[in-house]
Amino acid sequence: MAEDLIRMEKINKFYGRIHALRDVNLTVRTHEVVGLLGDNGAGKSTLIKVLSGAVPLTSGNILIKGRKVELKSTADAIANGIETIFQDSALVPQLSIARNLFLGREPIKGGSFLNRLDQDAMNASARELLKRVGITKDIPPETPIAALSGGERQAVAIARAMQFDSELIILDEPTNNLGVAETQGVLRFVREARDTGHSCIFIAHNIHHVFQVVDRIIVMRGGRVVADDIDPKHTTIEQVERIITGEELLHAITA
Amino acid sequence: MQQRTFLQSFVSKPEFGPLVLLVLELMVFWSFNSDFLSLPNISNTLSFTVELGLIALAMTLLMTAGEFDLSVGSVFGFSAVLMWTLFNSEMMPLGVAFLVAIAASLLIGFVNGWFVTKLNIPSFLVTLGMLLVVRGTALYVTDGFPQRTWNAQGNLFANVLAGSYFIGSFRMYMSVIWFALAAVAAHYVLTKTKAGNWIQASGGNPNAARARGVNVSRTKICLFMASSAMASLAGIISSIRTSAANPNSGTGYELEVIAMVVIGGTVLTGGRGTIIGTVLGIFILRVMRNGIVMIGVPGLAYNIFIGAIILGMMALHSWLERRHNSGV
Repeated sequence: MAEDLIRMEKINKFYGRIHALRDVNLTVRTHEVVGLLGDNGAGKSTLIKVLSGAVPLTSGNILIKGRKVELKSTADAIANGIETIFQDSALVPQLSIARNLFLGREPIKGGSFLNRLDQDAMNASARELLKRVGITKDIPPETPIAALSGGERQAVAIARAMQFDSELIILDEPTNNLGVAETQGVLRFVREARDTGHSCIFIAHNIHHVFQVVDRIIVMRGGRVVADDIDPKHTTIEQVERIITGEELLHAITA
Repeated sequence: MQQRTFLQSFVSKPEFGPLVLLVLELMVFWSFNSDFLSLPNISNTLSFTVELGLIALAMTLLMTAGEFDLSVGSVFGFSAVLMWTLFNSEMMPLGVAFLVAIAASLLIGFVNGWFVTKLNIPSFLVTLGMLLVVRGTALYVTDGFPQRTWNAQGNLFANVLAGSYFIGSFRMYMSVIWFALAAVAAHYVLTKTKAGNWIQASGGNPNAARARGVNVSRTKICLFMASSAMASLAGIISSIRTSAANPNSGTGYELEVIAMVVIGGTVLTGGRGTIIGTVLGIFILRVMRNGIVMIGVPGLAYNIFIGAIILGMMALHSWLERRHNSGV
């Protein structure tokens, strides 16, 4: 039985007088890929920002494996094993793949006074890692991120999250602006991440992509979680769409 | 991605353009006037080249981190004035006055960095304000008059910092050695160290860097302090060499230094920088200043050449940047 990795309890978030999150409860188990869906303004982004440490919550608790944590910054969240991959913003375009992978945790060789990067070790692990996430093309680890395609960048960001054993990887619209083959690549990395023991929250506008990869779907609307246990194997895309727009609920009330 | 030949990768480096330009420049000046490459002229050119060069090295690191410093010219003038005022009034020995001047410049750099990182004000505005404050202070405390410097004769400290020695018939200035050491150190920091990785990340994508635990603010503040300290050092060396501490000296240097850095291939918007390129850029501009006088072009025409070089190099770099980004 998979245990709870993340538990968010009664999360509320106000932006001024706007009540963006209303008593949100959300659980992510270990080895689980969760799809987070909802229309624009449903509160997905705010929830993810709270969980990634980018914005503070107004009230509520976040527990990681039963232990209460405070996430004051993105660095805090990363230190707690929560890695968020925002579209195109997680990497430094001018730096090489290897240097991006190790940014902030660079291995040093020689005396600490010399502050010297262990470039060889970085390149060797980078090569290994790129192979692991399925980049079979021969891309040297010295290649700057700017020279990579959108899908390759996502792959590098995911590889980095896997490298540092983040237990939860949050992917915010990872398939936006990607071609068909690249999208399939990203979805493959997500499965690879789950198979190697990571959990994921997968956010995408394209419900088809979500259906291809997740174990469970959570739907938000109006700052609340309105459904949190949708099994994609026993649900149709049309049903989920109706939950997102609220038709399903309306139907339940009027029936 | 196919394997590139050595020549191809050499040509695609950002330093290649400046290198070609410098070689061309030297050849043209030399063909017009063979005295151009005479030992006294080389020695003379080197001595004033490295003073601005020291500032350009620190500016390269700062610009790689995405910021720049317009106050360096003022600090250049102010530091020398401060040191000589303290020394001439017999308040302290020259070495101590030097340390006080460097400390003052570090404080100036810290204030610049603090305004930029903590108050989120663009470095253009912060350092423009600082330029005026520092220049104004130098003019106010001196009433606009130069400070006496001639009683530094034979002072050991002044000799170590800015003296000169003859190697055969070649006059070697100590400042050239300091510059060479600083250039090697700056290149090492930028390309080989963790700090260098942080500098590039701070300029390339500060939000991503911050998310990875990089202390972007501290990195930038340190670089503002380094830039100020180098400007101070350069101003003091210059004042010893020319035996003059003028509160107006260094006016306009900030723009010349930034020009040196961008001509060398460092990007104004941050993320990518090259010390080798900057060293080439320093020589391109300073050799130009010396050379056009040597071949008889009126010195007043200097800015025309500098402006043309900047425009030409920017066009070249933008073309190379596009190639670079498309992975060629």
